[in-house]
Parts: sequence; structure tokens; C-alpha cells
Amino acid sequence: MTAIIEARNLSRWYGNVLGISEINLEINPGITALLGPNGAGKSTFMKILTGQLKANIGEARIFGEKVWNNRRIFSRLGFCPEDDAFYEDLSGLEFLSGLLSLYGFSQAESRQKASQALDLVELADVADRQVRSYSRGMRQRIKIAQAIAHDPEVLILDEPLSGLDPLSKRRIIKLIKEFKNAGKTIVISSHILPEVEALTSEIVLIHQGKIIARGDIYFIRDLIDTHPHMIRIKSAQYRQLATTMAGEDYLLKMAFEPEDQAVVFETHDRDRFFNRLNELLLSSPLAIDEITSPDDNLQAVFDYLVGK
Amino acid sequence: MTSIREKGYHHWEGQFLDNPRTFWPISRTGIKLAFGRKHFKLGYTFSFLPAMIYAVIIYISERLEDFKFIAQGGDKLLQVNPDFFKSYLTLDLLYFAILILMSIGGAGLLADDFRHKAVQLYFARPLTKADYLLGKAGVIIFFTGTLTLVPAVLLYILKLLFAGSFAFFLDYPWLILSILACSLLIVLFFTAFILLASSLSNNRNYVISIIFGVYFFSEILRGISFAIFRSPLSALFSISANLKQVAAGFFQVKPPYNYPWYLSFLLVSLFCFLAYLIVKHKVRGVEVIK
Repeated sequence: MTAIIEARNLSRWYGNVLGISEINLEINPGITALLGPNGAGKSTFMKILTGQLKANIGEARIFGEKVWNNRRIFSRLGFCPEDDAFYEDLSGLEFLSGLLSLYGFSQAESRQKASQALDLVELADVADRQVRSYSRGMRQRIKIAQAIAHDPEVLILDEPLSGLDPLSKRRIIKLIKEFKNAGKTIVISSHILPEVEALTSEIVLIHQGKIIARGDIYFIRDLIDTHPHMIRIKSAQYRQLATTMAGEDYLLKMAFEPEDQAVVFETHDRDRFFNRLNELLLSSPLAIDEITSPDDNLQAVFDYLVGK
Repeated sequence: MTSIREKGYHHWEGQFLDNPRTFWPISRTGIKLAFGRKHFKLGYTFSFLPAMIYAVIIYISERLEDFKFIAQGGDKLLQVNPDFFKSYLTLDLLYFAILILMSIGGAGLLADDFRHKAVQLYFARPLTKADYLLGKAGVIIFFTGTLTLVPAVLLYILKLLFAGSFAFFLDYPWLILSILACSLLIVLFFTAFILLASSLSNNRNYVISIIFGVYFFSEILRGISFAIFRSPLSALFSISANLKQVAAGFFQVKPPYNYPWYLSFLLVSLFCFLAYLIVKHKVRGVEVIK
């Protein structure tokens, strides 16, 4: 199957400053997260995908068609920018209706679609209030509403969760997942890694304008198996557990956290470690409260890959 | 590099709508926002006062017998001829009203979009740069057009109606074309002027300062230049003087300044062209589709 979004050798400079360099990427339906620190090139990539920037080299295609100067494509694409971009004097409904008119919908259709979108982002009750009176969370949600109102197939969301309170975040995450379940292609950028973990495991790590890794977070984690895995076990008998495990040859390091009654193991063979742990749990009266992998998150993966 | 996983795809059920008037929603929103601004409606209504006075003059001019007590010594003022229409379209009060209204409702047309980074919302949609600029220009065209072109044409029709004959039309068969041409030039000039000013700053207050500053500074410059050189060409520095000179050419009446009217016409045309290039460049500066 042809990828929905294709980037071929995409490069873009801002004068002498590199935006992105030789990005080759294929994105399929589902949620794909672009991860990287500020200035990594995520927004540049998204601006090229949404036709606002022209790549110096290479090209971006959506549904097999070139993006640049191809206004037809934009009917099938929704973009949520990182910055606030509103007409503050308009009501939420008017703001959305006005933008929908740009697609060629009649006024009645625009209002109907705007109302539906506001309903989806749970802003229907404040639809007639001026945008200037909206809270941070509401503003973020109406930005998403303007991106989804025309029912696009591809959603490009630049930092959609930034600045939101936990409740609003949960709402937006739920909404994005619903779009994923509807078979849409969603590209989301973020530098707040736990937020992305809640959304998808399909990640593209960008650093200094280049893709340094892509795929499933756990798959990437396996790629860097040379780096030891950290496993933290919380148990009242954490010292007894450490004593039992100490003889295993795949264990590289142990560290105690007495205040939490926990021990942190470092191993280069996670599978063997867990097999042995299972045996221990079955054969002895050890009680374990919690097992976590402190470095099995995106921040750790990112840090490893960029060599921090 | 990635592991294989199942993914579903539902075919898009939307439709492509080919809309040749994509600019109109932008104009409509701009007009609506302008009317929503404080004092705008009042200012807009008062801006029709000169047109109403001119309408009364037309009425009186056709009923001179009934209004002898007013008309004494004012015959020249009550003559409805090409100069009458030219004087309406070159009223300083009218230009001032346009500047006031456009500083309220037009200064932020581009400046606000730059400030709020709203341009990216437009260009992530099926919209070209021409649509965008035409949409913004449409707001100024609407207001300046309803204050110049529309009243001037209505005054002409009123004159024909009150006269009850086609004598006036037959005397000046070209007059309606002069009204159209002159009004369009004024509309075009103010559209270029306001959009240019609006593209020069992200702050609408600075834009308002630019609009009034440039307009009145051009008058001051004309005065200084005339004081030094004593040349009628000093009028080329002034915005209103140039518009008056061009209007005189269009209406085939004696120009207020002693130099060919087409010099002013060329200058105004050049200004509009340069303004277009600058505005186009400024919008391009925020990275949009050509």
C-alpha cells in the first residue's frame, strides 16, 4: 500500500540555519508522533507538509500528490498550529464557520459543520462566546476543532497538548484516538514525551533536522540493547531479592532505594532477567508491589540516541 | 526498520468543492469585524452626510424657483455639472472619513493576521495568495466603494430623475464613465494605501499612525516644497492633491494645479503597483503558497 504521507529527501534551510536535512519518511494511517527538542525541525517538517514552506530540496507528497502549490490537497488535510491563531472578536462558532467557508461550503453547511466540530471538542456550550474569553484549554480545543471541522483524512497537529490542564489533555487524547480509530492519519509533534506515550508508540525521533530513529518505541529500545535496561522493583523484601539475583551473570549493577523500599537492577538481557524473576516469585514467598522500567520511556530512548 | 502492525484505512467520503469565490468569506468576515468595532457604525453612517448634502443640492438645483431665497448668489454652487461630481469625489472631508473608517476597520487586516499568526490557518486551506489578498482588499473596496462609487452613481441617477429628461445625459454622455473611472481609481488607491500600511507592522496602532502620518505628512511636504520652489509640481508630493488632479482630468475640468493631470495619474498608478509588490512580498515573508 502506498503511504499516505511521503517525504523524499526533504531539506530546508533558513539562510545558513538548517531546518531539516534529507528527511525520508513514509507515514501510514494511525498516529505518528514527531519527537524532538525545540528547534529539532518538527515544525519545519509540518509546515512543508501543510504547504506553507517549500522545501529547498526534495518533495513532500500526500495521497501521492505533491503538496506544494496544490490547493486541492488541503481539502483533505487539517492543520492545528502550535501558536494561537484566532480572530478574538468572533465567537467560536463564527470563527469556525468563517474558516469552513474557505472550503467552499455554503453558510448553512459551514455553521452545521462548525457546530458539529465544537460539539466534538466539547465547546458547544460556549459556541457563541467571543474567542477572547476562552481559557487556555478552550483555545487549544478550538484550534483542534478548526483542524477537524471539515472532516479531513490527514491531521497535522503541532504540539496540540501544550499548556493544557490534565482534564483537557485527557479530552484531546481521547479525541485524537477516536480519529485514529476512524482510520485517519494523524501526525503529532511534541517535546513532552509522556504525553506522546499516552497517544502512540509509533514515533519518529528528530534531532538537529535529521531523523535519528523511527518505529515502535519498544522496538527502538531493543535496537539500543547495548545500553543496559533498568528495572526497578518495589518490595518489602527488596534486599532479599537483590541477594538472590546478585549471582546472575547478566546482571550488571544494582542500586538500593531504601526510602521507597526498592531496588534498581541494570541488565543487558531483559528477557533472562524476567524469566529468573518469575521463577523466584513462584518458588519463594517474595511479595512484589511494583515493577517499572525507569528508562523504558521516550526520554530515555531519546537521550540514548542523541548520545546524552 | 519498524515492526509490522495492522492498520486500517477508511476511504474519505468528503467531496472537493471548487469555489471560485474563495476570497469572499475573508471579505465577509473583515466587513463583519469592522462593523463590530466600537464607533464604526456611527462613523460609517456620518460618512454619508456629504452625499446627502449633495443630494439636497441636486434637488434644490432642479427647484430653483421654489428655493430662490437660498439660491441668491449661490447659483454657481447649485450648478450640477461634471465639476459637481468631481467635487464630491475629491472632498477632503470624504477622504478624511475614509481614513478614519479604515483606521478602525482596515488597519488590522494584515497586521492582525501577522500578529496572531493567522496566515498559517488560511494557507493550510485550499486558498491561494491571490484569494487571500483579494479577500482582504475586498473589505476596503466595500467601504471605500460604498462611500465614493455608490453615492456618486446614485447622485447621477438622482439628477436624471429630478430633471425628468435625458438632457443632462445628452449634455455629458461620458460623465457616467468618468464617475466610474474616478471612483475606481480612488478605491484602488485607498485599498493599496491601507493594505500597504497594514502590512508594515504587526501592531494596528502603528498602522493607524502610518496611515494618518503619511497622509498628512504628504500635505506638509507639499506646503514646504511649494514654499521653497514655488512650483505647482509640489502638488505631486500630496496624496489628496494628486487625487484631485487626476479627478480633474477624468471629469475634463480645469485641474487645480498647473501641470498635466496624467503626471499625477502615473504617480498614483506607480504607487498602487509598488504597494502591491510590497504587500505581496510581506505576505510571502510569512511563508505562504505562491
